[in-house]
Amino acid sequence: MTAPVDTVAEVAAVPEEIQGRSLSAIAWGRFRHDKVGMVALVVLVILLLCAVFAPLICNLMGVDPLALNDTVLDKENGGVPLGCGLPDSGFFCGISWQHPFGVEPGTGRDLFARVLYGLRISLLIALSATFITTLLGSLFGIVSGYLGGLWDSAIGRLMDIILAFPFLLIILALSGVFTQRLEAMGVPEGNPARITYLILVLSIFGWPYLARIVRGQVLSIREREFVEASIAMGSGTGRILFKEILPNLWAPIMIYATLTLPTYIATEAVLSFLGVGVLPPTPTFGAILADSVNYMSIIPSYLLIPGTILAIVVVTFNLVGDSVRDALDPRAARA
Amino acid sequence: MAKVSPVVRTAIVVGVGALALAACGGGGGGSNSTSSGGTPTKGGTIQYLTQSEQFDKVDPQRVYTGEDLAFFNGTIERTLTAYKFSHDAKEGTSVVPDLATDTGRQSDGAKTWEFTLRDGVTFETGAAITCADVKYGVSRTFATDIITGGPTYAISMLDIPDDPKGGSAYKGPYVKTGQDLFDKAVTCSADGKTITFHLKRPVPDFNYTTTLLAFSPVPQAADTGEKYDDHPVASGPYKIQTYNKGKGGKMILVRNDKWSQDSDPYRHAYVDSWDVEFGIDPTVIDQRLIQGAPADQTAISTTLEPQSLPVVFNDPKFASRRTNEFDPYVRYFAINVTKVPNLKHRMAIAAALDREALRTNAGGAYAGDYADGVIKPNMGQDYAPTQMWDGLLGQTIPPTGNVDYAKQLIAESGAPVPTITFDYPNTPTNTKAAAIIVASLAKAGITAKPNPIEPGSYYGVVFDPKKAHELINAGWGPDWPNASTIIPELFTPTGGFNLSQYDDAAYNAKVDAAKIELDRAKQASEWQALNTEAMKNVVVVPTRFGRDQRLPGAKVGNAYLWPAYGSWPYGDMYVKQ
Repeated sequence: MTAPVDTVAEVAAVPEEIQGRSLSAIAWGRFRHDKVGMVALVVLVILLLCAVFAPLICNLMGVDPLALNDTVLDKENGGVPLGCGLPDSGFFCGISWQHPFGVEPGTGRDLFARVLYGLRISLLIALSATFITTLLGSLFGIVSGYLGGLWDSAIGRLMDIILAFPFLLIILALSGVFTQRLEAMGVPEGNPARITYLILVLSIFGWPYLARIVRGQVLSIREREFVEASIAMGSGTGRILFKEILPNLWAPIMIYATLTLPTYIATEAVLSFLGVGVLPPTPTFGAILADSVNYMSIIPSYLLIPGTILAIVVVTFNLVGDSVRDALDPRAARA
Repeated sequence: MAKVSPVVRTAIVVGVGALALAACGGGGGGSNSTSSGGTPTKGGTIQYLTQSEQFDKVDPQRVYTGEDLAFFNGTIERTLTAYKFSHDAKEGTSVVPDLATDTGRQSDGAKTWEFTLRDGVTFETGAAITCADVKYGVSRTFATDIITGGPTYAISMLDIPDDPKGGSAYKGPYVKTGQDLFDKAVTCSADGKTITFHLKRPVPDFNYTTTLLAFSPVPQAADTGEKYDDHPVASGPYKIQTYNKGKGGKMILVRNDKWSQDSDPYRHAYVDSWDVEFGIDPTVIDQRLIQGAPADQTAISTTLEPQSLPVVFNDPKFASRRTNEFDPYVRYFAINVTKVPNLKHRMAIAAALDREALRTNAGGAYAGDYADGVIKPNMGQDYAPTQMWDGLLGQTIPPTGNVDYAKQLIAESGAPVPTITFDYPNTPTNTKAAAIIVASLAKAGITAKPNPIEPGSYYGVVFDPKKAHELINAGWGPDWPNASTIIPELFTPTGGFNLSQYDDAAYNAKVDAAKIELDRAKQASEWQALNTEAMKNVVVVPTRFGRDQRLPGAKVGNAYLWPAYGSWPYGDMYVKQ
């Protein structure tokens, strides 16, 4: 796509051009022919719908992520689900029609409901953090690349500093203090504050990567004729940045966003696993996995089912991201 | 006084409950007696597999976890007196002479205690152990800025005045402030054989106190202060050959050739060496012991992970070696009385908690029995049922809780219950327990908020009155079989583990009276009454008298749970040939 977007858009705007299609229409046309991408998208949409309608689905199934139920546990056998941990226990011990994913050892909470609700929290955090990352990364990248000079140096050093921080260490060390700060600033106590903290930290440590990509793109775009033309016509910096340059950056930004989202889902799981995440009893993938690894040898399904679902979510996001890239930037298509 | 440190392993199994402690009449309940079968033979190496990356402390004056006290006392450190090696609850907690020729001689109404050292006792250097070495060892406890983490009974019991600015007037052997006071409280006979302790109050069971490693000898010339922790001078049958901390690290103990069996009728020293392997994943440890490969048949570890229990206890092939016994600990939730001052509110919390769900979560029957106080039945004469759940609080409260009664109590209190923030070490099992607490308190209309704390710093946080919240996850075991190491520690402001911040003048006076009661039977009944009174005031909500399950390697002999420390009897174990 050598033609800058504006030209295409202008062409498309001409009424008598029957074949005129917008960039997004062209991209969607390519995407539709990408079988892997389409399958991943369908799976993703189903998972998203499941997450959004989790309360409804759980109601229909008659399960509840928080309801304790010790009638399904074997109290004489370490509190594991009935039928588990015995010499003849199979892989699917603890699983029934009522509890398709089994129940949590020790509490008897339904795992199907917990996985669905965990998916909600994961997606909420990952989507919000991706949105903020994209916003910050694009803004700083464009400003840094276009204005150059002092701006570029300042933003560049800021990015260097952020990238030099031991991210995981900081996130663990500061969680208590910052959560309290947020609560003092009026964010509701408990989970809202903790979720806000996670979103903020993920975004703050995530944007420099995108900003660097965007800055590189801007450096080449700003030398192009249409930018010069715009300057010659006397446009303000703001207009040039956001009306002339930004639309040319949609492809890398979209690609980066779709690839960042799954890493955030995984990071959120890791952080909950390490105990920084959401407070109990709210279910999260990380908390489920942290508990389930202990029971790997006697209740394998407890680790494998939530683990597989987390993997599916991450993989489908990645596949969709790849396909979006192929659709937006066909030259980069994999052979 | 008893400063505690959470045992990492136990932290993961049952919640940081398990503290540090030592003795307790153990092994009351249904036990599969393991051990023996054959005569002990000399030789071989026992591998001790552990998840910790180092010993919490090795310095004798600083060791204070039950398992470590037993390990070092059985291998490298000798003390004036020690506990008999036996699986039996009574025998296994009885005191026998070790460095001393007898179990101590008291006079002046148990305010003066005298021990005479055996002939021929030496350090690994070959130097004879004298009264001065024992005295120097005891003096180190007073250097509280350097010698941290250990028991402080020497400070509270020896006849040395308090410093008006806090602590003892004697500041330890490094700064020597108040050295003359210490020299008066601990004296040596002219021949250096007899050590005499002068106490500030009668302590009829002081010879139990002297089983603690804090009373073991340290040669002054070898004392390197804080660094002594890396390589203490051995007085027992083994000495440290290497001590590498961290993942993959090892501590190797080899025979101390200066030790002679003639001077030590207490230890058997069957094995040739001990091989402590640090930083192994607990699941891996359990799997190695369950699989029982030849190299792991001489291995031991401590508590089994909860997920290993069904495997070990449902397979008859482990029947001869698995152990399942009461440990020394009581698990409970401390209620911070400064934050929940209304008794009816505390009663409502006790009534609302679903102790059955909490027990199921901790491992069901393996986790222990329902507790009715902080004194465990295996404490013998100090225990009496408190009726806490059978009417002491006004109504019967079943293990699943009595929600109606809780609501009634809140209504009677005339004030809303404050939000209950629950402090707990952030481990998966405790996270699930937090959910159970939130749910069961909510049924009675009490709002609870979980507050997970990083396990490594857990006690540091909850010991700080400014940081501790309303409800605190805890556990405690006695230092020796006398509730004087429980009630004063848990429920008086001078105690070392008063998480409830309880400070009641009348109660304190009764505790002080019980401490110096010389008639042991009368003292026992006083502890019983004080235990019941604390439960009536719901200073804590006891949940479980804990149990402990272990699986030693098939070739380890005398692998029984030693009631003295709720640990392996390290000085009695051997490798089956």
